[in-house]
Amino acid sequence: MTRNAEAALLVGAASVAAFGVALVNLARGDGLDAQVALTFVVMIASFGGLHLAIRQWSPEASTYLLPLAAILTAIGFVEVYRLDRGLASLQRWWLLIATALAVSLLLAMRRTGLAPLRRYRYVFLLSGLLLLLLPLLPTDWSFPLRGFEQNGSRLWIRFQAGPLRLQFQPGEIAKLVLAAFLASYLSERQAVLGVQTRPLGRYRLPELRQLAPLVIAWAASFVVLIYQRDLGASLLLFALFIAMLYAATGRGIYLTTGGLLFGAGGVAAWLSFPHVQRRVSAWLDPFGDYADTGYQIAQSLFAFGSGSLSGSGLGLGAPDRIPNAATDFIFAAVGEELGLAGSVAVIATFALLVAVGFGISLRSRDTFRKLLAGGLAFVLGLQTFLIIAGVMRLLPLTGITLPFMSYGGSSLVANFLLLALLARISHEERA
Amino acid sequence: MPALLLTLLKFIFVAFVYLFVWQVARAVGSHVGTGEITRRSKPGNQVVIIKSETQAGQNIAVRDAVVLGRSAEADIVLEDPYASEFHMRLVRQDGGIVLHDLGSTNGTYVNGRRVGSPITLSQGDAIQVGKTIMEVR
Repeated sequence: MTRNAEAALLVGAASVAAFGVALVNLARGDGLDAQVALTFVVMIASFGGLHLAIRQWSPEASTYLLPLAAILTAIGFVEVYRLDRGLASLQRWWLLIATALAVSLLLAMRRTGLAPLRRYRYVFLLSGLLLLLLPLLPTDWSFPLRGFEQNGSRLWIRFQAGPLRLQFQPGEIAKLVLAAFLASYLSERQAVLGVQTRPLGRYRLPELRQLAPLVIAWAASFVVLIYQRDLGASLLLFALFIAMLYAATGRGIYLTTGGLLFGAGGVAAWLSFPHVQRRVSAWLDPFGDYADTGYQIAQSLFAFGSGSLSGSGLGLGAPDRIPNAATDFIFAAVGEELGLAGSVAVIATFALLVAVGFGISLRSRDTFRKLLAGGLAFVLGLQTFLIIAGVMRLLPLTGITLPFMSYGGSSLVANFLLLALLARISHEERA
Repeated sequence: MPALLLTLLKFIFVAFVYLFVWQVARAVGSHVGTGEITRRSKPGNQVVIIKSETQAGQNIAVRDAVVLGRSAEADIVLEDPYASEFHMRLVRQDGGIVLHDLGSTNGTYVNGRRVGSPITLSQGDAIQVGKTIMEVR
């Protein structure tokens, strides 16, 4: 696909967003208003800006990334708009901020490329861990940067200076930073990690010293689980470590040990945390405690059910009955208003985006870029799978966002930065 | 707004989304599906010891054939208590290097797998004998 075809598709995605907003307005009898034009303009400004930045600073980058992300953002934005206009206008601002940050990242990398990510890996490890621990700052001290608890999870920081109040989930960025660290660390140590020295029965284990990063990963993700009480973020983090170790070494032992460690941690969490028990019981039997713990999942299932094949139509369903519909449950809103047809289109788009990411990884000759692209694509795919599976009651619910679609500043910023990194990797591979 | 028109518009919206995804999918399919995927299969030229208590950094040039082992009579003496007297042989063949395990007690591992029949080495392969690790370059 040429750059111009990419640009045409981006205009197409902006039109889909504007069309969707118009449909929501019509369905409610509001008539067409400035929102339609505003949505179109913001989508063009956002993805057009990214497109121009890529043309300018990473001209060889893959052309598939932006259109796929744009159509997801468009559908997600329409649903957020349908659920809550206030959130939608905030989401527009977040979209512009995320674009500005992704463009700055491309600008910063225009000469040096990804080399600084590789060189200063311990800076990235440290900042990744700091970002993870940031929400544990006291909630009530006088310093303007404070930890903050929402929906029972301690994942937020809040910056408060006078009337200005900003909230952010630093864990979203930590994911990217730690992926960069791991890619750099593992690409250097690949030869040694793949070798097995310690015999144990008929198996040969890697030397214990080489397993240290794995243990650190396990510990870090359980710190998140225990102190921040968030299943999704901790699982995502741990799986990222395991997947990248496996990708770097090709040794199945990392998958088995990782799986066992995760299983043990999961059982321990289930035994000791009431909020994990609630999630599991809501998953096994949402209608058993319909009025309380099962309510959200039950509403989500009703949404998919009433959406049926082709959906109720935008603005004509009742996805606003689901608590947190605009963030974690955005996919249920799509399922209700666009039906199976729309949900399948969304899943297919995510599958394509992840495939493009893995394609970039497979094509890379350089180990660092290969691992970084693979890790980023993996974490994007897993996050999508976990939240969609949670919303559809395939797995217990883990409170994470659906990339590009959910309402949320941190999530948008992180995913736009991820997009910029993938674009840069594919550019360096071809240039 | 008549309900019929809204239903119609709903289908048009979903159709637009599919048209869009189809456009990208077609292009991606030709990109991901076919086309060669680069693999590191360049034949190796030399073997370098990268991990050993005494021999790290030693370069092993393979001209015709070299035998590596703990014995003083081996071409390259491995200072490793876990290596056999005559542990393995590296043979230059068709522009690359082929590794033969000479029935060693503790085995030779290439990328973590024990060598049975002779194996052709590629750049980046890790060879392990006892506690000694070599890399093919």
